[in-house]
Amino acid sequence: MRLAGRFGGAALSLLMVAVLGFFLFRVVPGDPVVSMTRGRPTTAAMQAELRAQFGLDRPLHEQFWSYFTSLLQGDLGTSFTFRRPVAEVIGERLGPTLLLVGTATLIAVLLGLWLGVRAAWRRDSAFDKVTTGVSLTLWAVPTFWLGMLLMMVTGDLFPSRGMRDTDTAPDFVSQALDVGHHLVLPSVTLVAVVCAEYALVMRSSLLEEMHAPYLTTARAKGLRDDLVRRRHAVPNAVLPAITLVFLRFGLVVAGAITTETVFSWPGLGLLFYDALTGPDYFLLQGLLVVTAGAVVVMNLLADLLHGVLDPRVKVV
Amino acid sequence: MSRFDRSGLAGAAVLAAAALVAVLAPLLIDAESLDVTRVTADAWQPPGAGHWLGTDHTGRSVALLMAQGTGTSLFVGLTAAVLSVGIGTLVGIVSGHFGGLLAGALLRVTDFFLVLPALVLAIALSTVLPRGLGTIVLAIGLTSWPSTARMVRAQTLTIEARPFVERARALGGGHVHVIGRHVVPSVVPLVLVNATLAVASAIVAESTLAFLGLGDPTRISWGAMLHQAQLHGAVPQQAWWYLLPPGLAIVAVVLAFTLVGRALEAVVTPRR
Amino acid sequence: MRVKLCALLAAAMTLGLSASPAPAQQPVVLKVAIVQQIDSMNPFLAVFQSSTEINRLMYDYLTAYTADDQSVTEGLANRWEHSPDRLTWTFTVPEGKKWSDGVPITARDVAFTYNLMLTDEVARTANGSFVTNFDHVSAPTDQKVVIRTKTPQVTMLALDVPIVPEHVWSKVGSIKDYSNDRMPVVGSGPFVLSEHVPGQFIKLKANRTYWRGAPKYDELHFVYFQNSDAAVQALGKGEVDLVNRMAPAQFDSLEGKAGVTRNKAMGRRFTELMINPGAQTRTGEPIGDGSPVLRDVRVRRAIAQAIDLDALVARVNLGYADKGAGLVPPVFGKYHWQPSEAELRRFDPAAAGTALDAAGYPRKADGTRFPLRLVGRAGRAYDEQASEYLKRSLGDIGIPLDVRLVSDNQLNESTTAATYDLAFSGWSTNIDPDFVLSLHTCAQRPGADGKGGTTDTYFCDETYDRLYAEQLSEFDEAKRVEIVKRMQARFYDQVPAVVLAYENALEGYRSDHFARFTTQPAQGGVIMAQNGMWGYYGAEPAQRTAQTGGMGWAGFAAAGAAIAAVVLAFVVLARRRAATAGERE
Repeated sequence: MRLAGRFGGAALSLLMVAVLGFFLFRVVPGDPVVSMTRGRPTTAAMQAELRAQFGLDRPLHEQFWSYFTSLLQGDLGTSFTFRRPVAEVIGERLGPTLLLVGTATLIAVLLGLWLGVRAAWRRDSAFDKVTTGVSLTLWAVPTFWLGMLLMMVTGDLFPSRGMRDTDTAPDFVSQALDVGHHLVLPSVTLVAVVCAEYALVMRSSLLEEMHAPYLTTARAKGLRDDLVRRRHAVPNAVLPAITLVFLRFGLVVAGAITTETVFSWPGLGLLFYDALTGPDYFLLQGLLVVTAGAVVVMNLLADLLHGVLDPRVKVV
Repeated sequence: MSRFDRSGLAGAAVLAAAALVAVLAPLLIDAESLDVTRVTADAWQPPGAGHWLGTDHTGRSVALLMAQGTGTSLFVGLTAAVLSVGIGTLVGIVSGHFGGLLAGALLRVTDFFLVLPALVLAIALSTVLPRGLGTIVLAIGLTSWPSTARMVRAQTLTIEARPFVERARALGGGHVHVIGRHVVPSVVPLVLVNATLAVASAIVAESTLAFLGLGDPTRISWGAMLHQAQLHGAVPQQAWWYLLPPGLAIVAVVLAFTLVGRALEAVVTPRR
Repeated sequence: MRVKLCALLAAAMTLGLSASPAPAQQPVVLKVAIVQQIDSMNPFLAVFQSSTEINRLMYDYLTAYTADDQSVTEGLANRWEHSPDRLTWTFTVPEGKKWSDGVPITARDVAFTYNLMLTDEVARTANGSFVTNFDHVSAPTDQKVVIRTKTPQVTMLALDVPIVPEHVWSKVGSIKDYSNDRMPVVGSGPFVLSEHVPGQFIKLKANRTYWRGAPKYDELHFVYFQNSDAAVQALGKGEVDLVNRMAPAQFDSLEGKAGVTRNKAMGRRFTELMINPGAQTRTGEPIGDGSPVLRDVRVRRAIAQAIDLDALVARVNLGYADKGAGLVPPVFGKYHWQPSEAELRRFDPAAAGTALDAAGYPRKADGTRFPLRLVGRAGRAYDEQASEYLKRSLGDIGIPLDVRLVSDNQLNESTTAATYDLAFSGWSTNIDPDFVLSLHTCAQRPGADGKGGTTDTYFCDETYDRLYAEQLSEFDEAKRVEIVKRMQARFYDQVPAVVLAYENALEGYRSDHFARFTTQPAQGGVIMAQNGMWGYYGAEPAQRTAQTGGMGWAGFAAAGAAIAAVVLAFVVLARRRAATAGERE
């Protein structure tokens, strides 16, 4: 029953996303056909043909209905810009984003949580001061600015754009190393900013937990420091942090827009940015539905995990 | 004096200085010296005697631009944060405390706003609405509240599951009592941390929107300066004097807000 | 676990170092930075300038323009003639030219391409405007294509339509769904597509059997950049060999850089300030909300007179532009028009003020006459800066400006719906001026529903329209040039827009990798964005010394070392903390 409710809620969220995705981007002013053909020899008849091709000449409610029914069949429409199915375009860009966001999130989560726990446990130690100070400073840094600075400072050490060179040998090892080489600056940028937040939240969450009476009891029982931390404090403090990690999963995609823009990383973030300048309605819709869908699932997981990890939470 | 007091004071000092600059700059700076059509200095001058932070792509003094931009950045950060944290706290407590339909509905709305990548929504909003500071504030405020709501709700749930709250409820404590005596005090630290982080992130968000070219183009802000720096090729020019100061100023002010917030947090939740 | 990580890093570094010695026979590659997206590799669908340019390398057109002076020359066809009534054109496709798969190119391929566009509306997406006047196309023999047009057409030797191989495209079911990037892609141009990774790069290989002769290097790579700043940096580092569309400041930043040569070329673009002349639909209904004072041509002239074009060129374009005049940029010398002494409107704010007084718009008590709105694009450096200058110049003659910098779409929306007083715009022009001239005819205004227009400035002028029709049917080039110039003079006199500047095309290339590029035109011409493929085709590699790339691996090694150091530091720190933790309590 409870599970059904959760899933039902997620489904409802998805439905609202689908509806908003359609209308939000149609509020953006401008005729996509005019933008598309700007600066080229175009006749009014050609523009009308294009409009008909994309169904833009039909009334809005008809457009919405056909969008919605094909969405249910997994068809996200055709991109204006690329003249190909949106699902296909998104599919191509998924890999690079997963690689960048995945790498960065993994490093940021592990490093951030670990730093946070240590800093909290040794509150006011040199380690805590350094970690907190560095985290706070990094948290204050605008992502794109950090990217630009890194680019300017590292000079020739790293490539300034993209995911791989065009003239790298085709064998797997060379290709993988080349991608790794390109990955350094964007992922460092993303990790630096995201990791700081994880560390700070984990630290404050653990500090809260350490004042709880049961910890004093545990210590009074004579449990070793390390054990108290591992068995009692950390599992409880991890809760808000886990919520954050899952929430971040969606936000990181948005954060990737700036990083991918600065470094021309060929992922979904860059695609989003490019699609907005079109505006490529179908592509924007598709991107929104896909990213939002992923986050809905993540949130569902966060909710379920929350229940499993903290039996004290009552079921709503 | 503990470390927090000291760093908090340092933060407050930075903020006071920034506020002073924000107030004084428009009064002291001659509009002529920021009018690109009237400046006489050469473009892209490195820091030197005449312009101690160098000049931008039109020959305006970077130092004067920095001072002029302070007010805009602070204003956007503060108003957007108040908007965002206000909505977030209200939604969080209500959906955490009350069960049933209302909580369900609020939770849906929160989830819904959560899944929309905030930056994308903010970009879309700033594209649709007329350019201006109000739009930026709205775009940031309306898109950044769900995480506060989520965290406040989680905290509310955790607190309300504790024995002393259950006891209070068993003893006949109403909604007002439970929220006022137990929930609010327990979420205040969280809200405070969140509020400081929200001012901070709102300033960063403003700079990001401005960087993407969505800011108010008629106003000078730190983000707008970075946008200009990028647009006119500061990185290949190696014009560090145009790229560094706005970024450092953002970092300093955001950090100051964070430090002050943390000092406040230490006051609100004394060691038990 | 940590030890494993370090070992992995070490292994990765060794592999990286061992991989670095380059194989002996490395192909010579020209790497070009492109900032605009690639929409499609299908020549019938690709509308972006970047994709059109790459398609031009893959497919020859029926005719071409020479690199030297942009006159018409041999493309797939080497001879052409027309009937006395100019309705029937016969093109000869000589024997001996081959598709990249070895199949001979014939007139039937040409007829197939045009007929496909005539029968399939999707195939008209990109280049439909060239065939709308075609009545019938046939290939009576393998060498002859016969095109019959409905009315005489002056642009018959400027048909910018890529010709595709019939033996490949006749098997394509739906043009709309054909991405044309599955290898092998059969083409006729100097390069053959070999790989396309959307959003990242496009690789082409030299076509060894190209009928003009093979290119002088092996591969041509187009690498996608998000912004020109990144592209300029990559040029500085030697990651790419050729960059165009630089901002003036970026161009300046490359001055004196070792190994980089800059090319300041005459561009095909002009920037204009549109002045809403009282927009109307084709049926004469007013549209939009332009200020009524601008319907008075005296006001428009006064505004034009108050703008200091020289100052704009000097301060906003940093000198990398020519002062604006007519609609055709100087790069197309023949059709370019400059005002005579008598016609010239000199910068003179005082005279502009007097003219406004005379027109019945005296200064009010507060010193202003009437306010106007100016719309520009946020994020376009030119608009952001030039608007400041215009604000001041027009303020000086008593016209306060409300500057609104908006997104690209909003700007398009505003100019299409005529909800502007003044607005920035710009066009890229072609060798044949027909298109840019057509934008200002009455017929291009939208229909009664406000849709279906492609007008630029809502200009509608009887004299201009009469001249436009005349030049369309004038086959004597000298006479046509004369008419085209008179049209521009009329446009200049009526000022529905002020042409502000002809921007230079700012390009840069690695002269340590490539010694020479063919520009079009030969004097002061561009390398990229030509009316042709000469820039890429004629590139000559420099004497190669050492292949670059060593720096890259050094960088990777440095990064690996840095990561390893950080990991190590944490391990040590963690150990120490653990030790002290045990002692505490």
